[in-house]
Amino acid sequence: MDLPGITEVADARLGIWRPGDAWLAGGTWLFSEPQPALTRLLDLHAFGWTALQVSPDGLDIAATCTLAELARQEFPPWQAASLVGQCCAALLGSFKVWNTATVGGNICLALPAGPMISLTAALDGVAEIWGTGGAVRRIPVADFVTGPGRCRLRPGELLRSVHLPIGALQCATAFRQLSLSALGRSAAVVIGRRSPSDGALVITLTAATTRPVQLRFPAPPGPDGLLATLAAAAPRYHDDVHGAPAWREAITRQLALEVLDELERL
Amino acid sequence: MRVTCTVNGEQHQADDVWEGESLLYVLRERMGFPGSKNACEQGECGSCTIYLDGVLACACLVAAGQAQGRGVRTVEGLGSGDELATIQQTFLEAGAVQCGFCTPGLLVAAHDLLERHAGPTDAEIREALAGNLCRCTGYEKIMEAVRLGATRRATAS
Ligand SMILES: Cc1cc2nc3c(=O)[nH]c(=O)nc-3n(C[C@H](O)[C@H](O)[C@H](O)COP(=O)(O)OP(=O)(O)OC[C@H]3O[C@@H](n4cnc5c(N)ncnc54)[C@H](O)[C@@H]3O)c2cc1C
Ligand code: FES
Ligand code: FES
Repeated sequence: MDLPGITEVADARLGIWRPGDAWLAGGTWLFSEPQPALTRLLDLHAFGWTALQVSPDGLDIAATCTLAELARQEFPPWQAASLVGQCCAALLGSFKVWNTATVGGNICLALPAGPMISLTAALDGVAEIWGTGGAVRRIPVADFVTGPGRCRLRPGELLRSVHLPIGALQCATAFRQLSLSALGRSAAVVIGRRSPSDGALVITLTAATTRPVQLRFPAPPGPDGLLATLAAAAPRYHDDVHGAPAWREAITRQLALEVLDELERL
Repeated sequence: MRVTCTVNGEQHQADDVWEGESLLYVLRERMGFPGSKNACEQGECGSCTIYLDGVLACACLVAAGQAQGRGVRTVEGLGSGDELATIQQTFLEAGAVQCGFCTPGLLVAAHDLLERHAGPTDAEIREALAGNLCRCTGYEKIMEAVRLGATRRATAS
């Protein structure tokens, strides 16, 4: 839609941050609802960042990489590569939205059902954040998102990229997603990964919970152990039209057990 | 602000574009391409579907300035001159149009599918058109039109 309050779209490299500014990435959320608080958009494409960089250390995803670019990429034979397509498909929008929506926009929007949050949190992604005045800090994506629509960006900070470490990319993974309707917005996404070297297991909960929750085990804990750890973690379950908290909790437990079962058999 | 881009193979320019305008508005109201329709303005219905640098996008979600220097193809640019594109012809023949509001978006999405897949399965057709909503037809005639379009293209080549 048109955003009548916007008086300027500026090159993000030149703009000095001021109240009423927002970073413009794909614009698929910014242009999908009225933005009465905004007066200026700072276009991140001006940076010209390389979308994806594979290195011996893992994968660097530029914040401006689109979901389509990520889904199309051919990766080295990393076991976790299958998660990329599964998570892209978990975005409710059609592939037309993939063509424009960016990984960074999805993470910074910080919706519980943000599939790029699910992907990068589950693979221990680390967000590189650029502050005003050239400061750089790094935060695990799992800690970066703090609640529905909330993240740890301070005014004027932007997400530059996410690094996925090679150790996580080499893990076997299991993915489960559930929505109230067949093609609905994710009500729960549970992703497990198991290290081929030491058998350690990490289960990441998103969409059902208000922020990413990670459960770490040195070895598969068995169903009772998993449910006990989940209960001790006491996640807050999200409440909106896409699912009530009690239902989200029940399906999260079920999906976590399925993920455990799948990875235990490896 | 001035926005210059290629639309359906020709250079077009719009002046006095205000910064928060969507590409959809610029195409329809400033550049004279009203084919792309404005329905939900939220990326849900697909009636504004266009090609942007060769890939499908919802024009309602693209900032006008983001089209600067890029290539846009709208429903008006699918055929050549007075000749309809195959998919436009088969939509007519199959009776896939009722009120017609969704039709331009569906045509662009179906055109893209047939460019990528010579003989799509029904599941592939449904997937490709999943981001285009039609309130009138119940989709069966649309499916028929796309199947017919695929057959027609195959026999022509
Ligand atoms: C039909 C449809 C379905 C959708 N389904 C889903 C869904 O299932 N799950 C979901 O999570 N979202 C969904 N969305 C919302 C949105 O499209 C996606 O979250 C998308 O990935 C956002 O990316 P973008 O590049 O378009 O972000 P933009 O719209 O450009 O930006 C989104 C927000 O993030 C900020 N931002 C963007 N990039 C950065 C950066 N690098 N640093 C700091 N801040 C930044 C912007 O200022 C803005 O506040 C949907 C949208 C549509 C239209
Ligand atoms: S008007 Fe753009 S998707 Fe509905
Ligand atoms: S023909 Fe009326 S909305 Fe599709």
